[in-house]
Amino acid sequence: MNTHDHKVKANKEPRPPKACGWMAEFENEHDLLHAAEKVRDAGYTKTDAFTPFPVHGIDHALGIKPTVLPFIVLCAGLTGLCTALLMQWWMNGVDYRYIISGKPFGITPASIPVSFELTILFSAFTTVLGMLALNGLPRFSNPVFTNPKFDRATDDRFFLYVDSSDKYYNRESVRELLSSVHPASLDEVVEDATPSELPRGILLGSLLLVLAGLIPAAIVLNMRASFSDLPRWHVFFDMDFQPKKKPQQTTTIFKDGRSMRPQVPGTVSRGQLVAEDPFYLGYDPMKVAALGNDKQVYVSATDAPESFFQPPVAGDGGTALNLPWLDKLPIEANEANIKLGKVKYETYCSACHGYSGFGDGLVAKRAASLGQDTWAPPTSLHADRVQKQPVGQIFHTISKGQGKMASYASSITTEERWSIVLYVKALQRSRNAKIEDVPVEQRSSLTDAPSTPAN
Amino acid sequence: MTSKYDLETIELPNKWKASPLFTGGLILLVIGAVLGLFVRGQEAGPDAELRFLSHSYLANFMFVMTIALGALFFILVQFVARAGWSTSIRRIAELIMWTIPILAVLFIPILVMVFTGRSFPYEWNAPDQIHSSVIKAKIDVGYLTKEWFTLRSVLYFALWSAMAYFFFGHSRKQDESGDVEHSLARQKWSGPCIMIFALSVSFAAFDWVMSIDADWYSTIFGVYVFAAGMMAFFATMILISIALQNAGKVKAFITVEHFHDMGKFMFGFIMFWSYIAFSQLLLYWYGNIPEETFWFAVRLKDGWQYVAYALIPLHFAIPFLGTISRHVRRHRTGLTFWAVWAIIVHWLDMTFLVMPNAGPLNVLALAGHFLGGLGMFGIFLSFFLMRASKVPLVPMKDPRLPEALTYANPIL
Repeated sequence: MNTHDHKVKANKEPRPPKACGWMAEFENEHDLLHAAEKVRDAGYTKTDAFTPFPVHGIDHALGIKPTVLPFIVLCAGLTGLCTALLMQWWMNGVDYRYIISGKPFGITPASIPVSFELTILFSAFTTVLGMLALNGLPRFSNPVFTNPKFDRATDDRFFLYVDSSDKYYNRESVRELLSSVHPASLDEVVEDATPSELPRGILLGSLLLVLAGLIPAAIVLNMRASFSDLPRWHVFFDMDFQPKKKPQQTTTIFKDGRSMRPQVPGTVSRGQLVAEDPFYLGYDPMKVAALGNDKQVYVSATDAPESFFQPPVAGDGGTALNLPWLDKLPIEANEANIKLGKVKYETYCSACHGYSGFGDGLVAKRAASLGQDTWAPPTSLHADRVQKQPVGQIFHTISKGQGKMASYASSITTEERWSIVLYVKALQRSRNAKIEDVPVEQRSSLTDAPSTPAN
Repeated sequence: MTSKYDLETIELPNKWKASPLFTGGLILLVIGAVLGLFVRGQEAGPDAELRFLSHSYLANFMFVMTIALGALFFILVQFVARAGWSTSIRRIAELIMWTIPILAVLFIPILVMVFTGRSFPYEWNAPDQIHSSVIKAKIDVGYLTKEWFTLRSVLYFALWSAMAYFFFGHSRKQDESGDVEHSLARQKWSGPCIMIFALSVSFAAFDWVMSIDADWYSTIFGVYVFAAGMMAFFATMILISIALQNAGKVKAFITVEHFHDMGKFMFGFIMFWSYIAFSQLLLYWYGNIPEETFWFAVRLKDGWQYVAYALIPLHFAIPFLGTISRHVRRHRTGLTFWAVWAIIVHWLDMTFLVMPNAGPLNVLALAGHFLGGLGMFGIFLSFFLMRASKVPLVPMKDPRLPEALTYANPIL
């Protein structure tokens, strides 16, 4: 100690480097394991081993206790699972109830993959970050690096280090203990005397990187807040403008200017045309002539030309009353059909018309909030003129489209379209119900209620 | 120099005989069949008894067949990965794998059913009763015919037996010579064999199980059956190892580290089965088209819905949480409990795949079917004992054995 101090003074160092512990060097892993066991048995816990390759049993020899990390990861995984389930329950079950492919709201089998991914994500991040935190990493410097011999720890030498912060640490006794296992060399590790501050170049470089990282965000912010007359800049032009037509677009290829093509006249779906024509048309074509209508009469749906698939009278649907519409449902008004109609209505119609039919679906709300004048608000099914429409006309609207509304004939089968008509009729009736519509045994529950609106 | 390894005998305990186990298994199989038949006989329907019996036999056959195939895959993987840790337990897996040629005998009753022209367990076998255009098409192209079905089944057994013969043969030759060439030869062929294994097991699962409902198709079905079999195989290997050690054998060779690793594998395949089973369900649930969902519809009614829903906790949630801890996997009693659990739910899983097509669930008939499964497992174990007699239970001259004996899992 004295000679050491003396030397330091003689060299006129500003202050003696602080001793941090002892490091013993070994030529093979067996000596290291043996030494580690002795150090462990002597009661030291602030120890570490450095080896060029993983040594089996070193954790046991060093007396390293099992880590708590698995439990932390388990908790993080469960947090991820609960986060995912809550998120999906809230989004799809509460906040934005949107029917996709007729699937139910809230937690469904489709929620499992997201829950699985978030469980893994939370667990993986916690594993890596927890491992770093529990190991006190990242650590940019370690006193052991001050010893040039230590470079061989990544090559062919094995090191055992006892830190001076250990509860039982005593400079002399640790030295004696380590000498007793005959290390290849034994050195006292001293503190790294080089300045511990980050070099200014690194600081400046990091600052510049952070500033550079803000540039994209600044550009995005600027774009969000400013207006420009210039056209949008397209990185992938041929992806943004593909040589194809989408529904609702115009085209010069066809005479009628529509890119969305009607079915080829005479198209018959598989399993179609098992009933009389009115079932597929919503009106009786045989009676059209009898009305004195100037429209041509088609004996059956299969020989009607393309123009036939346009709405029968252009413009407002309310004036197209001069066709012999069916006023009686061709399907039975039973519970199964009502339920089918509800499922199909909510899958295909509710996005615009709303679950109750007031034209307040999620798409309509969003379009209204955007305030675009090209948007035609969907009709309320409770509007007076829709109320008065015969069932055949409603069916015709679903089948052929009306105004901005496209035809749904290709997505919904004929029977299902009629079941939707049934459901729409039920919706309309529910807004104009009389007490006679309620089953006798349930009427008292309504009339006895204190504030029943008299409809 | 004598070590603790020299002091042990590495052969089967003398008391372990194949014939009583075989006889017991056969008796259980018959009792199960009689009980099942008696109960089924009370119900209406043409050929109700034989229909039940053929499905029950098929389910129980798949129950043990998948375990043996799991052993074959395990051996292939050890050589593809050039694994050293498993050398001391590998012989047990090799012996399970080596039962495959004998298991072919158990397939004969199924072929008999097919050749007598019964419409069960495979309804495609009675073409004149088929109304489905999908099945008719599969019959018309000549895929689902009794001759081609038999040929394929024979091919599967030939391929698996050849692989088992090759891998077991080299292992036994190495017992005598200790020549490293035997390890290298197996390493060389393990890769191609895994590919053959993957295809043959997938097609066998299509032919033997999926074609019960030939209208239905699932490309992941082979993986499902494979995943289920792997889980049950590791459970079986754990139980055999523990039983051998309880009889005082191979105690120094199979350490707690090996049990830990077999437990890890079992845990992993519990998860993998769940992953595959759910992946299959999700696509059909999402598509929601009748020709795909009817397979689930059959399994979600007539009492089978209880089995279907029970599989979620029994085959996934409970054993998943039960084996997630390393302390359980390093604990003999804990591991034994979960291994028995895994084998029983594997039987339930195979039952779920096959039995709903035989008719509504009947608890007493299911009990008979369970006795049959127990008997089949006994017969399977008797095949194992038959193969294991006079064969050392550890490949003593394998160059990788020292690695296995010093192997240790890191302390986490």
